[in-house]
Amino acid sequence: MTTATTTTTQVYQLFIRATPEQVWDAITKPEFTTRYFYASRVELADGRRRAYGPDGELWGDSAILEEDPPHRLVHEWQGLYDPELAAEETSRVTWEIEPQGDGVTKLTLVHDRLEGAPKTAASVAGGWMFVLSGLKTLLETGETLT
Amino acid sequence: MTDDDRVFKALADPTRRFLLDRLFMRDGRTLTELESELEMTRFGVMKHLRILEDAGLVVTRRQGREKLHFLNPMPIRLIHDRWIDKYRERQVSALLDLKTQLEESA
Repeated sequence: MTTATTTTTQVYQLFIRATPEQVWDAITKPEFTTRYFYASRVELADGRRRAYGPDGELWGDSAILEEDPPHRLVHEWQGLYDPELAAEETSRVTWEIEPQGDGVTKLTLVHDRLEGAPKTAASVAGGWMFVLSGLKTLLETGETLT
Repeated sequence: MTDDDRVFKALADPTRRFLLDRLFMRDGRTLTELESELEMTRFGVMKHLRILEDAGLVVTRRQGREKLHFLNPMPIRLIHDRWIDKYRERQVSALLDLKTQLEESA
């Protein structure tokens, strides 16, 4: 993004040729996330969403606020992969998964409560586009984006 | 019409590109706010927003009693990944071929 926006809510929506269950698995299981989510291992356990980098370093460890497979996942967000982001206030990520018929699923990602996390807001803007584009490619073609 | 067709068609209008730019500057606006920046009737702005929404470029969400419009960058990003990257790669490799040829003949 070329201009710094003062946005405190970011919305990303895309349609994926896959079932809601496949989309759910792709965002909650490490065997999928390692293939499109900056090679990170995402795991949901004990009410926490944890993300580990390729060398096992902790990139994220946030509370899960809602977990309703395969429809809705809400969790807090704090980027531990960068000290500047880790120092900011916790924000929130909502994944909404809705079947559209004909084997197509609508995925909406809302990243909000970014008022106290301007650096995070700037950092994730390009990041979510990369991650979601990679997720779509993986589910539709079985391939990863280069 | 495919999804890509809807996006290209939605982008092929200066008013709609203006609306996207306004949302890029500050996201999450009401119809009233967007309308105030255009010399156009409320109905006209609604019509343009509807086309942007159908193309997935704008997503609306309810917040309390207000309906807020958000810019959804994904359709443009997907077109970028599918189309623009592809041709840029070709251009780069064509330049590399030219360089090799020139260097070999030198």
